[in-house]
Amino acid sequence: MNERQGFKFIAVFLNMAWFAVFVLVPGLMVVGISFMTRDTGTFFSPPLTLTQYRELLDPVYAKVLGASLIYSLNTTLLCLCISYPFAWILSRVSKHRRPLLLMMVIIPFWTSSLIRTYALVILMKANGIINTLLSAAGIISEPVTLLYTDFAVYVGLVYSLLPFMILPLYAVMEKMDLRLLEAARDLGANTCQVFVHVVLPLSLPGVLAGCIMVFLPAMGLFYVPDLLGGAKTMLMGNFIKNQFLTAMNWPFGSAASVFLLLLMGLMIIIYFTFSRRFNRHQAL
Amino acid sequence: MKQWILLICLVLISVPALAGQQRLYIYNWTEYMPDEVLTAFQEKTGIKVIYATYDSNESMYAKVKLTRGKGYDVVFPSTYFVHKMRKEGLLSPIDHEALSNFKHLDPALMDQPYDPGNKYSIPYVWGSTALAYNNNQVAPEMMTSWKDLWRPEFKNRLVMNDDLREVLGIGLIVNGFSVNETDPDRIHAAYESIRTLMPNIRVFSGDSPKQPLLNLEAFAGMIWNGEAYMAAQEFPAIQYAYPEEGAIFWVDSMVIPTGAENKKQAHAFIDFILDPQIALQVCEYIGYAPANQSAIALMPEEIKNNPTIFPDPEEVKKGEFQTDVGDAILVYERYWERLKTGM
Repeated sequence: MNERQGFKFIAVFLNMAWFAVFVLVPGLMVVGISFMTRDTGTFFSPPLTLTQYRELLDPVYAKVLGASLIYSLNTTLLCLCISYPFAWILSRVSKHRRPLLLMMVIIPFWTSSLIRTYALVILMKANGIINTLLSAAGIISEPVTLLYTDFAVYVGLVYSLLPFMILPLYAVMEKMDLRLLEAARDLGANTCQVFVHVVLPLSLPGVLAGCIMVFLPAMGLFYVPDLLGGAKTMLMGNFIKNQFLTAMNWPFGSAASVFLLLLMGLMIIIYFTFSRRFNRHQAL
Repeated sequence: MKQWILLICLVLISVPALAGQQRLYIYNWTEYMPDEVLTAFQEKTGIKVIYATYDSNESMYAKVKLTRGKGYDVVFPSTYFVHKMRKEGLLSPIDHEALSNFKHLDPALMDQPYDPGNKYSIPYVWGSTALAYNNNQVAPEMMTSWKDLWRPEFKNRLVMNDDLREVLGIGLIVNGFSVNETDPDRIHAAYESIRTLMPNIRVFSGDSPKQPLLNLEAFAGMIWNGEAYMAAQEFPAIQYAYPEEGAIFWVDSMVIPTGAENKKQAHAFIDFILDPQIALQVCEYIGYAPANQSAIALMPEEIKNNPTIFPDPEEVKKGEFQTDVGDAILVYERYWERLKTGM
């Protein structure tokens, strides 16, 4: 084994070991616990059962899951609508301006997203910056209700996740061959047709990657709805935390986590199938 | 992050007493003890303090329970967690003889049902959960009972603690039951009452219930007295009121887990905290009432007479302390999920 191979081996081994110890083992423990019985003495105990999964069928949990999915789905769509034109412009401005614009997308992410969420509270509260400015300008007499509404939740989620949509879109758009667009125009396509038949299909891998990268984390950012929405809706994150800590029902919390894991796994499989099919299509 | 802290703790524990120095591992609520007090203790006794914090009784309990308290020498659970941990054998008895400052403790807070005779816990600070309102928007006579929260004027204007025992507790109180009810029918009645309160609730606050009041997003609600005291210093319109049915009271106590390895040092620390001067320093920093009557005697009049920090003894008698509800917590959790999913 030469030195280079040795380095490769160590790098791969360290990564694998890291994932095995901190991701795979805890993950398997969660799966294992989800088949056990609640026990206040030891948190969970042996009699193996499927009760936890049967209880997940209760309509209450369908509502918890539904609320989480709706927040994630809407956030993804909003991010896509905002990012698509932005990424397009970004990939078309002159090369020496691009780094500056990219930096402006990335710099806010050097601060913790929790701190940025608190900053949004200061902006949107009844005696906050937005309301103070609006009333000073004489536009409103009573403060506008912004905080603790769904609007505030979406502002927070979209703001937190926007770069995860912009960057993959930018990556595909930057590589796009502009001659294809010219060719389409030469063949008589109008702007709309160029977009639908050329730009959109070519950017599809970026759209898919961006959607996955926004949708999955949006399910987990439950502190944003808690802080900006007033914690009036229970989401999967709150629900699992409550099962573990308050109800001390570790098996039930684990079953919910396993369910969520399967759901996300399914989405990633769909993503890979689509992108593989797309690549084959493109290669032809 | 948590795994790292745990790992670092484990490494620290597995290196037994470097150079024979005495150590003490403290596990406390965030922002619940000034650093100066810890430094003063280290200087006085030469015992090195290793300090870790938690943000809820539940997460503290999960850790202490999993390790049988090994790795922590002094922990600060609230009332009903003392009860629960005592019942489950997680607490080690405290030797009152080893505490020279035991005599300073307030007898009114001793010998409570959650720990008769204070065999396992020494009270640290205490407080209450009651009503808060902004007197620019709300007249004092509108806020005299828990039932006032249901007033139609408060539509979408209340802040509540994001705590299922406390919120459903109000539902139990207005139905004339105890906050420690375990009967599922009575908890159901509480749920039905809170369900009709939901349109009035603007926000459930998990971190700091004073913020929505200071932000003018909420005009009234339920709050801890320390938070109300701090809010009033920032914005004097925020008032604190004890409801006629009685407030919910709690005490945070110092306990020694069964698995603690430095029990002698833990006793020395508890005794140090009971020193009236130190208790006074703690109270001035965290804004909750010390369980120490000698410390209260040292306080300036305006703090001593502040009813937010020190309620009338009559109010304390009317109120109720939370105790552990055992498996009934599952019933509470079920109804909490229903409230938050609008069912």
